[in-house]
Amino acid sequence: MNGAMNRKVLILLGPVAGIVMFIAVVWMATVFVGRSEYRDPYRAPAATADATPRAEGVAAEKAAADTKAKATPYAEAEYRTFPIVGSRVAIWAVAQLHLLFAAFVLAVPLFAFIIEAIGYKTGDLRYDRLAHEFTKLLSVSFSLTATFGAFLTFMLIILYPKFTNYLMSVFSPTFLPYVLLFFFEAFFLYTYYYGWGKFHPLLHLFLGLGLNLVGTAIMLIANAWLTFMMSPRGVSDTGAVLSVWDAINNYTWMPINVHRIIANIAFGGSVAAAYAAFKFLQAETDEERAHYDWMGYIGNFVAISAFLPLPFAGYWLAKEIYAFSQTLGLTMMGGAFSWLFIIQAVLIGNLFLAANYYLWLGMGRVDGVQPLQKFIKYLLFAITLCFMVWATPRSIIATVSELRAMGGGAHPVLGYLGVMSAKNTAVNILILTTFMSFLLYRRTGKVATVAWAKAGHAAQLSIFAAAAFIVIFLGIYGYFVEATVRIRLSVPQVSSVLIAMVSITAIDVFLFRGAMRTGEVRWGRIPRVSQYVLIFIAVTFTWLMGLMGYVRSGLRQHWHVYGVVRDHSADAFTPTLGFATKVVSVTVLMFFLLIGFVFWITSLHDRPEYQRREKGVGATAHEAEPV
Amino acid sequence: MKIPLILRIGALVFATTGFYAYVGQMVPQKEVQPPAEIVLRTDLTTADMVKVGREIMEGKGLCFTCHTIGKSGALRFPDLAGVATRAKTREPGMTDIQYFAQTMYEPNAFIVPGFNPGMPVINKPPIGLTDQEILCVMAYLQTLGGTATVTLQTKHQYNAGTATPTTPSTGVSPGGTQPEATVKGEKR
Repeated sequence: MNGAMNRKVLILLGPVAGIVMFIAVVWMATVFVGRSEYRDPYRAPAATADATPRAEGVAAEKAAADTKAKATPYAEAEYRTFPIVGSRVAIWAVAQLHLLFAAFVLAVPLFAFIIEAIGYKTGDLRYDRLAHEFTKLLSVSFSLTATFGAFLTFMLIILYPKFTNYLMSVFSPTFLPYVLLFFFEAFFLYTYYYGWGKFHPLLHLFLGLGLNLVGTAIMLIANAWLTFMMSPRGVSDTGAVLSVWDAINNYTWMPINVHRIIANIAFGGSVAAAYAAFKFLQAETDEERAHYDWMGYIGNFVAISAFLPLPFAGYWLAKEIYAFSQTLGLTMMGGAFSWLFIIQAVLIGNLFLAANYYLWLGMGRVDGVQPLQKFIKYLLFAITLCFMVWATPRSIIATVSELRAMGGGAHPVLGYLGVMSAKNTAVNILILTTFMSFLLYRRTGKVATVAWAKAGHAAQLSIFAAAAFIVIFLGIYGYFVEATVRIRLSVPQVSSVLIAMVSITAIDVFLFRGAMRTGEVRWGRIPRVSQYVLIFIAVTFTWLMGLMGYVRSGLRQHWHVYGVVRDHSADAFTPTLGFATKVVSVTVLMFFLLIGFVFWITSLHDRPEYQRREKGVGATAHEAEPV
Repeated sequence: MKIPLILRIGALVFATTGFYAYVGQMVPQKEVQPPAEIVLRTDLTTADMVKVGREIMEGKGLCFTCHTIGKSGALRFPDLAGVATRAKTREPGMTDIQYFAQTMYEPNAFIVPGFNPGMPVINKPPIGLTDQEILCVMAYLQTLGGTATVTLQTKHQYNAGTATPTTPSTGVSPGGTQPEATVKGEKR
């Protein structure tokens, strides 16, 4: 009885705490953002103002103002202002929230579909259950995505009417297909979710495929609008439309499409893993813990697998930005935004450290892990070293005396670690090291029994060593060659890492086929701290998406459409990175409050019906039906 | 006392976002304003133009995003120290003014050996310098290893003139009178 009461109190406290935290975050946003950027002009306090009523004068002024207003012809507004935080911050927060939910809604069906297909192929019902569990998160998230999308559209029309009108005129042929696709998306999503177990598996898989195709098409259209703003094409110097297809197929459209699909998967995987972590920490039975441990592992596996090739998609995007405009590229990497990439390095370094830490903790699930644990310290050393190199800035903030002592803006030794040669090397080694952690985890509790096992291990080690050598050698070589040569060195560095990962994985699959098991995997046997690591990874991914969204959008600086439509609003300036990171942080907090709401609603699905709970476990289904 | 799970998770989320916001405060803080629109007086002297040219290169022209002055080593774009001397002989048959004009109006016509193409067309958006502003930039460039000779009346192949190098201006040296470049009501 007491337990039931406590549970009721907790159920009540959950939403109350959520509402209080939401209000606190909105208040914080107002304080953070309002204080540093916008100040009202000074006005004398009412007490010191002239107390004379002057009612007649006021009435006359009002009448004059009315007459003037009536005589004023209608004029199209170029901008309108949003109270307290200003138009830009308001649009920024809403757009970011819309994008985060959209990313989640696009990513989850992708890996749910793959997991369901694995379940169908292998006949293992655990996969089917897991895919269904992921899909449960979708319906509420879809509603929130659409709500924020509508909110964003209204905000654009209200706050930036002239620019929005221009964008709509350029892309007018794309809007109706976009709306139509949304109908299809809703159809596929709800039939996929509610039709689970109700249709033939192949038909259900077809619905999943349709959901993914339509979702991707929606993303491609929306990406055309935003990439056009960054790298416009298909319009004249004055903005007149010459070719809608060229406007869609601009320089950064395809790289952003690819980058977003991969990043969405990484992000979606991490948030789904955070949901599993939340459920694991709530779990009361070993069975539940085992299930959610497995779900968290799969979510994190999806996230990190997508995260590893993400830098390569990032290189492509950066290359296309440079190809469109060297000025834009240099503003990004060498100008106003260059320090942003130091913050990015901290985030990515944390992601790599956390992902590896989770894998190492996960090794404890398997008996017989000791032989492999000795390698962890070397991996940790390599990751830490790479993290430090990546986070080293080229120029540093220093006093005059420090600058004199260094002999310039860059440190005589550490300055060499701040350039692209060192950073490219560090990130490639980081990726290789994390890949090694995956491999070690994969082979925990297994011994290869194939006849060529020794040769296979040697081949894997040789490929790994060769890739590491190529990356480091080219990194050092980059210091001694001209810029034209150095820029191209990143291609063989990246290629060698990719080839190594693919070939080592291929060998590993055959090497451990029919391997002897030395220990069972005991799902659920993992320290609780590992679940907090999963939540940390999800928050870091989300924050990283917010930051990179800012640089992509902020890169245009005082242009709505770069080089075509100039921003004449009060927000045309580029804010400080400190201000940007505050906005990103507040938006991320809002997102996690909302996704917490999604988790809570989703978890209601598993809760016994009200009457059954009241009457006890013994109540029949018939008795439990609502009257 | 056991802390409820929701509070523990909330604290973790709050601490993580707080930490990243803190990192954001640790890097240099710079607010970049849109470039001011400059209205040039028609009677600017060459010395005035040199000063205005330097200002344009630092601001609206975004020149120093890529170019350096007096830096050596593995550079991505040509260093401008001594460019006035090199400009006279860089392309056969071209004066320094013609060469400077070509680098700004038609930057891909000639690429300095060892470098990649990348210079934007300077009289078009997003930079969009006017013909007069470009003349001021040329005046400044001429001081990097030479003496400024350009005036606002200087004609070249891109401003409806033929290749006519101007006569050296007399009696005006860099650091002369203060240019009266005025900023036209640019909104923040």
